Parts: sequence; structure tokens; C-alpha cells
Amino acid sequence: MIYGLKKIVKYTLGKDIAGRYLSVYPDDTFLVSYPRSGNTWTRFLVANLLHPDQPATFDNIESLVPDTEAQSNRTLKRVPRPRFIKSHEYFDHRYRRVIYIVRDPRDVALSYYDFDRKYGHIPDGYGLERFVDDFVNGRLTSVDWGTWGENVASWVYTRGQSKDFLLLRYEDMIADTGSQLARLAVFLGVDSSRERLENATERSSLQRMQRLEKVSEDKWVSTRNRRKDIPFVRTGRAGAWQAALPLPCIAAIEAAWRPIMIQLGYVLTVADGSGAAQNRTAVQKEGLISHPMQASST
Amino acid sequence: MMGVRVAFGLHQPGRNLRVFPDDIFIVSFPKSGNTWTRFLLANLVYPEANPDFTNINSIIPDPEALTKRRLNALPRPRIIKSHQYFDPRYNKVIYVVRDPRDVALSQYHFHRKRTLIGDDYPVLRFVERFVRGETSPYASWGENVAGWLATRYGRSGFLLLRYEDMIADTGRELAKVADFLGLPADAQRLSAAVRRSSADRIRELEKMQARKWSSTRNTRQDIPFVRTGKAGNWQSGLPAEAVALLENTWGPLMHWLGYETTHEQNAETADARLLPAILGHHRA
Repeated sequence: MIYGLKKIVKYTLGKDIAGRYLSVYPDDTFLVSYPRSGNTWTRFLVANLLHPDQPATFDNIESLVPDTEAQSNRTLKRVPRPRFIKSHEYFDHRYRRVIYIVRDPRDVALSYYDFDRKYGHIPDGYGLERFVDDFVNGRLTSVDWGTWGENVASWVYTRGQSKDFLLLRYEDMIADTGSQLARLAVFLGVDSSRERLENATERSSLQRMQRLEKVSEDKWVSTRNRRKDIPFVRTGRAGAWQAALPLPCIAAIEAAWRPIMIQLGYVLTVADGSGAAQNRTAVQKEGLISHPMQASST
Repeated sequence: MMGVRVAFGLHQPGRNLRVFPDDIFIVSFPKSGNTWTRFLLANLVYPEANPDFTNINSIIPDPEALTKRRLNALPRPRIIKSHQYFDPRYNKVIYVVRDPRDVALSQYHFHRKRTLIGDDYPVLRFVERFVRGETSPYASWGENVAGWLATRYGRSGFLLLRYEDMIADTGRELAKVADFLGLPADAQRLSAAVRRSSADRIRELEKMQARKWSSTRNTRQDIPFVRTGKAGNWQSGLPAEAVALLENTWGPLMHWLGYETTHEQNAETADARLLPAILGHHRA
């Protein structure tokens, strides 16, 4: 009979998870992505760019760039403004300034598979093909994220042209961290001197983050009480799917999100049989990634 | 007080509606023909209930008007009215879209009716707020439309209707809905639903029942909720500058939807390739 009592008690005690109930301020900047898409790396990069005097670690990241899915509304209200907040939410119109990180869904699926085993959402023997079917259909995931395609499309097609929206591809960040970090610095309005960028890159390196995870994994909200034999910070690489993902899984992912993958520049490997992909590749060749997302439109 | 109401499920959940997998949603941006579609569906599916403004909220419920407790207790599958921007929990969606120039004008009058603005409020100023998404809590018109289309168009469980097509041939569009929902819909049943949902009839019902319906109670009674029921009012009702602003903001999306623009598009602000690329080049 008491419908929302649990929620109210949690909220009153400050033990709720803000999530979609977060109180948003107009000067907030959000780091948004689907889970397992490079958000934590970007969090470190942003924190290290903004706070050159305070190297980011897993002990301070929740105060430097707090997580809407790990912190209560009360905690987040106490964060000094302007806030820089991490989120995995699908489109939320209240978010004014958004850095959106997108990653090849074939790599996201592989990473998510390890993550779900780490978190005990699935057992070790869970079939990868079954998992990818879950992934494509949005099972095993929070309703607040949607599917990979829903999350990405809901942001890119509503905000892609906005000057308050910065689209980063995880693959570009790996291939050329410097240039993507420079875009990030311009968007954040911080000094983009070579020294500052190099410092931030160094302090957010894969090796450093892997080392820091080991130091703090019992304390950090996203790793404590989780399996220790599967790391949170994994390979930090792009393209692992080509060797590790079975063909039926690749086909399932490409069939689910063909147009948006093409538009984001992810080359498809399985023909869709309708010929539609060939027509649409023209879009990809024109270098779409650099066009609507450049922060220069009026 | 709010906490107590929430505790007992006596609040209107709105976006926080508890969604069931078999729910069917009529979704649109406000002022896009949602109420008409609601009556069409109510008269098609539940003709024996004699749908009118006194009972429409329980036949095709509005999560902004009913309490959480009542919504949870309704027989399933529910057909629910919604203005929400993309929500991944909605499995079956009938999305109604209308020319944003007419939507802006209609919402301008609706805001007068609700005394949110005065009669002398400049239309252009309203449209400036409209394109920024500041005139409703359901994101901007473009964010609402593009968010749904980009995630769901062309997939099963999503039906796109244009208000203008519904006006041009109501029976044909309602037949699409019946087919989408797998409802038995013979010509007689369809035409009866169309007749009982006509603009004239709904307007008459509004005159008698405006004070009994959540959306018209406590609003100015000299401005009707059911307005013209026509397409293209913007051509005489919107100043040219407002039309240009709307077209410059959403030109490519309007083109994709088949709404012809009258002003030269500004290539800097409108990327014609963005939406067509994901949806395929043509609307089916």
C-alpha cells in the first residue's frame, strides 16, 4: 500500500542514487556515454585538465567529477558549481552542456560482458552469443540507459548540431589523444597549452589508471564489493572485437544499429542484403564526424 | 505534503509512470493532435464506454492527470496518453507529429487560455522561446520528434502518424492504427469512430464539459481547447520572422517529415544529412 515510502526514506537520509532524479543546474557540464565506452578515462582526462594541481585518482574522482549513478542528490547538491558530472542516461533535455563519448558497439559489448561478470550480473559460463542478444535487446541493463543505439541516437540526433554538445569517439581518443584532448579543453574553456594537455594525458594513462585501480579498488564506489579477478579498467584498446567476437554476434550488432554505426564511422563487415548500406556509405565518406559536432556553429 | 502523497501513491507520476511491457502509448509533442487521436482510439477500442471529456482520462489515461495508484490499478493492456520525449521503456508507440509552425501557433493560444501569457504577448517572442524548448517540460519540438524517430523509426512497435494526413483521410490513418494494434476493424467500426471523434462533435462536448476535464478546468473559458482542427493555420497566423526562425531551427527534420519550408535555409545551423542518414533517405 505504501508506494513510495522506501524512496522517500532513502531520499530523506541522503541514501538515494540521484540518477534521473538528479537536480540539474543550468551551468552543469555532463560527461555522458553508454556504459563501457571510455567514460572513466574521459572523467580522468577532464578532472586532470580542470585540476592540474590535484592529480585524479579513484579516491578523489567522485568529488572532482562525481557520478550521478553512484551519488545521492544531497551529495551532488554540495558539489561546488559549476559542476562536471558523469552520467550514462539516455537523452535528458535538462542537460545543457554535454560531452558525449561514443565507442564501437562491438567493443562495448565485449567490455560489457566482462563488466557484467565482474558485477555478478551473469555467471562466467554465460554464452557470449546469448549475452550479445541481451545487449542488442536492452536486457541486463538499466532502463535509464536504453540500448546502445537508443542512448547514442537519442543524444546525437537531438543535440548533434548544438554548440553545447561535444561528440568524442573513443577510437579517436586512443588514436590521437592530444588532438581530442585539445577539443575537450576548448569545450571546457580551459587553457590548452601543450604542457597542460600532456600533463593531463600522462595522469590519465592506461598504466596509471590500472595501477590506481589496484590501490583503491576496495574503496571506489564502482569497484568495492566486486570481483577482483576481472579489472574495471580493461585493455584500453579499440578493435578487440575483430578477434574476440564470434561472427553471429557481429552480425546481430550490425543488424540492430546499421545506419547509426555507419554514420559514426564504424565500418560494417556483414552485408545487410538490402543494398541500403551502400547508399548510405556516401554519408560516411563526407567525414560526418568532424562536421556537425564541431563546436563552431552559431 | 508531497512526500505524504507520494507515499500513498496519490501523486500524478508523469514521466515517472510505472510502465508495463504491454502498455500502448499515444505520444506527441503537445498541441499536435493527441487529444483527437485519443478520442479516435477510445471510440475505436471502447465504443460502449461513450468516450467524452468526463471519462477520457480513465479510458485512455493521462499520467499527468491520474494518480499513481489509479494508473497501477487500470486493466491491462493500457492505452496511455503521453507527451514525453524518448523513453526506452515504452515498447509500443503511436507517435503523432504535426507541422511545428502550426504547433507553435496552437501552443501560443493554449498558453493564453491557461493565462501563462497575456493576450498582447508577442507571437514572435513566444516562438523564440518555443524553439529553445522553454514552453513545455517535454524538451523542444525537435528534440521530442527527433529523439523518438532516431531511436524507433522503422522498428516494430513504432507507428508514425502525421496530423495533416489524419485530417486529409482520417479513416485511412485510423485503419493503420487498428492494423498496428492488431484490432478487428471493419469499415463500419472505423467510420463510426471517425464520426464520433469529429472536430465538431468534440467541440460540442468541450462546451458542455470543459469544467469537468483536467486539461480545461481552471483555464479561460473564452478560448477553446479544441481549436480549428485544421492544418496550415500558421500561414495566416504566424509572422514571417517566426516562420523563418522555426524553419531555420528544424528545416531538415521538417523536410524529412514532408513539411515544405518557405524560407531559404541557413546551412550553418541546419545539417540536412543528419536525420535522413539514420532513418534512410525517405519516409515510408
